[in-house]
Amino acid sequence: MFLHKLNPSIKALTVIVAVIGLALIFDPITPLLFSIWTIVFTFLFGKVNIKYYLLFLLPFMIISLGMLWTTIAFSDAPEHPAQTIHLLLWEIPEEDIVAALSLVFRMFAFATLSLLFIFTTDMVHFILSLMQQCKLPPKLAYGVLAGYRFLPLMKDEFNQIQEAHQVRGVKRTKKVRESIKQYRRFMIPLLAGAIRKAERTAVAMESKGFTGEKDRNFYRRFTVKSIDWIFLIVTLTALIAIAYVSNVLGYFSWYNGQF
Amino acid sequence: MKLLDVRQLHLQFQEVNDQVLSNISFSIDQGERLLLLGPSGCGKSTLTYGINGIYPRELDGTMTGDIQFRGNSVASYAPGEMSQHVGVVFQDPESQFCMITVEDEIAFGLENIHTPVERISSRIDHVLQLVGLEGARQRSIQTLSGGQKQKLALACVLAMEPELLILDEPTANLDPIATRDFIQTIQALQEEKGFALLVIEHQLDGWVSFIERGVMMNRSGELVYDGPIRDWMNRHKSALQCQGISMPAVTQLAMEKEWLDQCSHFPLTVSDVITGWRGSKEQITFPPEPRGSHSTSTILQLSSISWMKRKSRIISDVSLKIRKGEFIAMVGENGSGKTSLSRVMAGLQKPTKGNISFLGKPLSSWKEIDVRKHIGYVFQNPEHQLITDTVYEEIAFSLRVQGIEEYKVDQQVREVLDICQLNGMEERHPYTLSQGQKRRLSVASMIVDHQELLILDEPTFGQDAQSTEQLMTLLAQRQEKGATIVMVTHDMELVDKYADRVLVINKGEVVADGHPHKLWCDDGLARWQLNYPVRIQLQQQVEREGLYVSS
Repeated sequence: MFLHKLNPSIKALTVIVAVIGLALIFDPITPLLFSIWTIVFTFLFGKVNIKYYLLFLLPFMIISLGMLWTTIAFSDAPEHPAQTIHLLLWEIPEEDIVAALSLVFRMFAFATLSLLFIFTTDMVHFILSLMQQCKLPPKLAYGVLAGYRFLPLMKDEFNQIQEAHQVRGVKRTKKVRESIKQYRRFMIPLLAGAIRKAERTAVAMESKGFTGEKDRNFYRRFTVKSIDWIFLIVTLTALIAIAYVSNVLGYFSWYNGQF
Repeated sequence: MKLLDVRQLHLQFQEVNDQVLSNISFSIDQGERLLLLGPSGCGKSTLTYGINGIYPRELDGTMTGDIQFRGNSVASYAPGEMSQHVGVVFQDPESQFCMITVEDEIAFGLENIHTPVERISSRIDHVLQLVGLEGARQRSIQTLSGGQKQKLALACVLAMEPELLILDEPTANLDPIATRDFIQTIQALQEEKGFALLVIEHQLDGWVSFIERGVMMNRSGELVYDGPIRDWMNRHKSALQCQGISMPAVTQLAMEKEWLDQCSHFPLTVSDVITGWRGSKEQITFPPEPRGSHSTSTILQLSSISWMKRKSRIISDVSLKIRKGEFIAMVGENGSGKTSLSRVMAGLQKPTKGNISFLGKPLSSWKEIDVRKHIGYVFQNPEHQLITDTVYEEIAFSLRVQGIEEYKVDQQVREVLDICQLNGMEERHPYTLSQGQKRRLSVASMIVDHQELLILDEPTFGQDAQSTEQLMTLLAQRQEKGATIVMVTHDMELVDKYADRVLVINKGEVVADGHPHKLWCDDGLARWQLNYPVRIQLQQQVEREGLYVSS
């Protein structure tokens, strides 16, 4: 699929530029339309499992709703108290609604952009590309890769340590102080194990000739092609077009320090 | 010219008084095979770091003497350059990779030494074929078995075409079949490629059949012998065990039976005994020592237990009764479900289907804290089990959880310290103990409450000869006192010697259940990836030859 084949670094750059662009705008319509555009784009040009996508989007939705409520409930005194909107049983100043929706949709747009990146990018490819396009030092990059490999191992180890406590008759307590004490006991063997493993991995990497020098050949080569730049331009053009539409509709406004 | 020449090497870490390596000198010729033997913790791995140039660069301490490779000091090679001459396969299969997939891992080493990109792909295919991992190129490393991971580590190193290959206890984490397979791969490759081979080990099984020269180190990091392995073992046979070196099982058997006089040369393999035997061949075989059966009351009963994990069936429809006082061994290949079954038995894992009853009552109706008073579970890695800061507290822990009076706690802890030979270490931190002591401590913490059912997951894994012996004696004592023991193991010698019932697990099912001596009569153990104990191997070989002679 098209999105999966893009250069990860340029894809990340596109997302970052779009996020900065959105951060400069403060109206409800631009981010809403842009979110819709992002979601459509993600599903048109990427192979994404819709169930997982919704699952990842869920926490953002919940936080958004919370923000919507708090922004309305704790807003400043409105400048034009006469203009109100009926929402369920309340009468709420229009200004507050607009501000709250701007915040919520902006967050939603950030979320959909991040998901576009996460769901169509392989972590390993991203790091390899960062090394090749953005001159990330190999020492750091391969360190992150080795750590990435450790994550599932750490989870297994954590479960084992938990069981080790269980066989000693330790009940899982609900008291805060007790559970902090328990976690401290879990952490020491977990960290001790991690340090030892990390050292072994470092030695193994070094004995395979890894020195961290920047000049190296890459078996998996990532290059920037014109399609990557097209993706960047299309995305930014879409953002500008949407902002224009919002301006025509009379909603557009720049961000100037609200909230 | 010598390929590798180590001269008067001394090495000492900061903040440690004793030298790790003291006055080590030896050399290896091109294409030579050498076995470096020594107990765990004698500084063998430290020596590896010296040879491939990581020390003294990364050493917090001092190193004197010289290590020369092809006449030049290792220190004079640029960082990373030694990796093109010396390749190392390490002990732990989990922690020697930094990439996600097989091909990326092999490519990593080749990238490091600036191999032209066009050549990398064909090189990957070539080495995967050498170690027998064709078809695994795109696989994720995590999905490989332990034996396959070690072969991958070997492939990574071979890709860089070293002149010296160092194997640092490469089979310590593998089961017997994977071990045999790995050693055979090494032997075939060495004969084909002719690289020099340095194997670092604390056990001899498997290697002695094709490596003749040995260098021995003792616990204080001194070199005590350099020459033919057979001669040295013959001279020091009684001292080896205390040195923490495991002799081949067949050698141990021959010494126990006092057969050495009957053999024309000191036996290291089964065929050594057969070919060098002076007396009549029937003398080699001997009947098993009968072991009495125990009471008939059931302590734990499993009825049609199944367990699914992520939609795959790990345990399928297992029903069995464990009787009081039995010593049960559970055997089977890696991934057959032995550990899972042991966890279900201990109540650590709830089965998806089926019932377990303990002492006549459903296990699920027991309170957790009461179950633990009766069932002890010993994990494969002792460090996972250690949860406090001193040895004393470690043993007292489960008593304290129950709120038992202090004087009783003290009394019980002292008793267990004594049984497990841990006296005098009460105040030590568990992590500072030796492997053997850690293992005994993990068992100690599980018998302090006089638990009558003790379940152990590969307790002898990674233990040297001496601590295995001590542990098994301890378990046999518990059994005499009336405890029931269930032990997951790969070691068929232990099964033959201690168990009075053996369960063979294959693909989550119990495929054989009975006295070990009955199992040895089955001539198809290989289909379950199992070995015969040497006693039976000898017998089988004699029978085969007997037939040959008589015809």
